[in-house]
Amino acid sequence: MSSRLTVVVSQAQGKNPAKRALEESIVAALILESGLDVSVVPYLYDLHAEHTGRMFLEGVKGDMCVLTWNFPRASFWLLDRDGIRGHYGESQLKPAVDVDEDEEEAEAQPAKGIGSVEVPERWIYCLDLRDFNNHEPFVQEVRRIAAECRERRANTQAAKADAKPVMVTLGSVLGNGAVNHTEINGKPRFTPEQLLTPPNRRWYPVIDYSRCTNCMECLDFCLFGVYGVDKLDRIAVENQDSCKKGCPACSRVCPEQAIMFPDYKTPAIAGAPVGAIGGLKIDLTKLFGGDVKDALGQAVLERDRELVADGREAVGMAVGIPRRQTGKADGPKDELDNLMDQLDSLDL
Amino acid sequence: MPGELTFMMGKFAAVLPVDFRYARNHMWCREHEGRLRFGFTSYAVRLMKDVYFLDWTVDTGTTLLLKQHIGHIETSKAQSDLFAPIAGRLVEFNKELLRDPSGINVDNYGPGWLFDMEGEIGDTMTAEEYFQFLDAGWETTQRILKGHV
Repeated sequence: MSSRLTVVVSQAQGKNPAKRALEESIVAALILESGLDVSVVPYLYDLHAEHTGRMFLEGVKGDMCVLTWNFPRASFWLLDRDGIRGHYGESQLKPAVDVDEDEEEAEAQPAKGIGSVEVPERWIYCLDLRDFNNHEPFVQEVRRIAAECRERRANTQAAKADAKPVMVTLGSVLGNGAVNHTEINGKPRFTPEQLLTPPNRRWYPVIDYSRCTNCMECLDFCLFGVYGVDKLDRIAVENQDSCKKGCPACSRVCPEQAIMFPDYKTPAIAGAPVGAIGGLKIDLTKLFGGDVKDALGQAVLERDRELVADGREAVGMAVGIPRRQTGKADGPKDELDNLMDQLDSLDL
Repeated sequence: MPGELTFMMGKFAAVLPVDFRYARNHMWCREHEGRLRFGFTSYAVRLMKDVYFLDWTVDTGTTLLLKQHIGHIETSKAQSDLFAPIAGRLVEFNKELLRDPSGINVDNYGPGWLFDMEGEIGDTMTAEEYFQFLDAGWETTQRILKGHV
């Protein structure tokens, strides 16, 4: 396993100079640091399977720290969806805002979702580039993460050495002691130009499997064939490009708020961290002319709009309306549930 | 002062010139060289604070429906999608703002205008009507702000 930490900066969409400057100053500060491999790829969410940036990410086998312009929860599950899996690395980076005391108390509850599968023994940390507008906090956090990863590897190796005799793997790429899978014969596998080929913008849901209970309500609700099930009968985003740009309807009907659209304006749908409402910007869309409905009404409206745009019939409440599980009310609501309720109750 | 109404947002006085018309999405409207010019009201600007980014998602010349999505704004305190205040043809965006959107904060009723359209004023309101509209919605608006800030 690689002894280095791969740091990946995912660029913002568009050409916002302030965002570019932040990305560049982070890279500049870290590029000469020992023990780090620093790379830049375009906007993570837009990377399709054949994009060099995506192939690069798939090639990274060790611990990874990914800096994106999205919420960490969205970035982490986005990578997971692309088969770039690992354990969730907890960042200690917190945006510089006053956090209400009562928000601090909410400790992470045991995950009730179905979780990911085939998670390798490595950790993926996602940092949100919107949290600070200067590079220092990010650079410090990357250093802290690098140290944390080194320590964890050292502990794991010590434990392994105690437990079993040394095992030699022959012939596999992993076993040849290569410390860096992003290089071949000491040269980078991909040129920066290849890595940074601008991808087209995309739009599709990302499932947070730590929350998803596999209830299939999204599968019933979406009439565009976006969802399917995998070989293990787990819900999966099967045809992501069938998804309708701008439409977050399935996210609204998900009873666990496990469906994220990283580019959506409402933070709770874009994958906002649990309990972090204090630091978020106010969304004035409703005030500035957006119509308001309850979550399900809104979802039905959004779905009908897309159906009509496709030359199909609007179906209203007639098809695939969630049967809100009866046992659901028993569980305590967590911060994210409350956040969603709060957004829904802003009837303007 | 004659010529304007003042809507109190807590301690902040949002000025509403009486010779302008007002759309429900908190944009003002007035005739300018045979077209209709639009900009944010002081009420809207106060809610947003300093404008950082302004992004239009439609091109000039586009014929818009009422409430059609036309862009996005991000400020120090808020973000929002933006919608067409009336139905009509979008003639021109304020190019100064595309270079530096903070002009909205400097003078939202003057050089900080947003765009010009061709169309009918439709159900835009007078200053007096807009004042009533703000007054009726003020409590809900405060709930939005308090829910988040």
